Amino acid sequence: MAIRAALSTAVADVLERMFFLEALGEADEPPANSGMVAVQLTFDGDPPGCFRMRLARAAAGSIAADFLGEDAESLTGEQSADVTLELANMICGAVLSRIESSATFRLGTPQIVADDANTERPAEEARYTVETGTGTLTVAIQMEKRHAR
Amino acid sequence: VAYRVLITDDSAAMRSFVRRVIEVSGFDLAACFEASDGAEALELLRREWVDAILTDINMPGVDGEELLRRLAADELLRGIPAIVISTDATENRIARLLALGARGYVTKPFRPETLRAELERTLGVPCD
Repeated sequence: MAIRAALSTAVADVLERMFFLEALGEADEPPANSGMVAVQLTFDGDPPGCFRMRLARAAAGSIAADFLGEDAESLTGEQSADVTLELANMICGAVLSRIESSATFRLGTPQIVADDANTERPAEEARYTVETGTGTLTVAIQMEKRHAR
Repeated sequence: VAYRVLITDDSAAMRSFVRRVIEVSGFDLAACFEASDGAEALELLRREWVDAILTDINMPGVDGEELLRRLAADELLRGIPAIVISTDATENRIARLLALGARGYVTKPFRPETLRAELERTLGVPCD
């Protein structure tokens, strides 16, 4: 499966099955300094690579509340961050399983990082942004060139 | 019959979600325990009997693979069925974990009914 198609189907699948949310279609990616939470996760395998996610803060709170079955107002920052990290973990795993179902990958630990909106992006990075209803979700994956055997 | 289940995952959010999914799915749950890694799970299993273990793979400390190895090596615990819940749906990983002793495998993302069905299949619960 093409990487960008894997990104879009993985996002739709994870939002629907685990967060009971319907992705509302592709959207324009917000610029830097627009209230986004950024997550990065590296993975080992053949090939290794890096997965990044940017999620609007409003969407992060709303998604965390749905996932935990609680009111958004009662959530702690830690709970919201924990769910955001889990969301990144699930989307990355779902993308890799779609791209290379017979390969073996080992996911690293997802971490909240500085928003990468202003950094130069690698040419080989695939990127996809979707509207969730409470803000945008952007996912990006960069895979290194496959090792020669 | 109601069942006692242990959820092992380093994410508190994921443990809470899995517990809620089991509760709302209609699965007959008598008690639900939580552990944040394999070591905590093994410690809890020395005090509490459970009918099934749901475990993540990637956890700091004693991860899911090591937990399966230690369960298999323990005469008292090897009979407790373990189901892996993971984002990793690659064929090699699933085969590896089943070979290590996992009795079931649920890939994230999953629907609530999928988790209930896998629990009931593993526990041999008769269909309605």
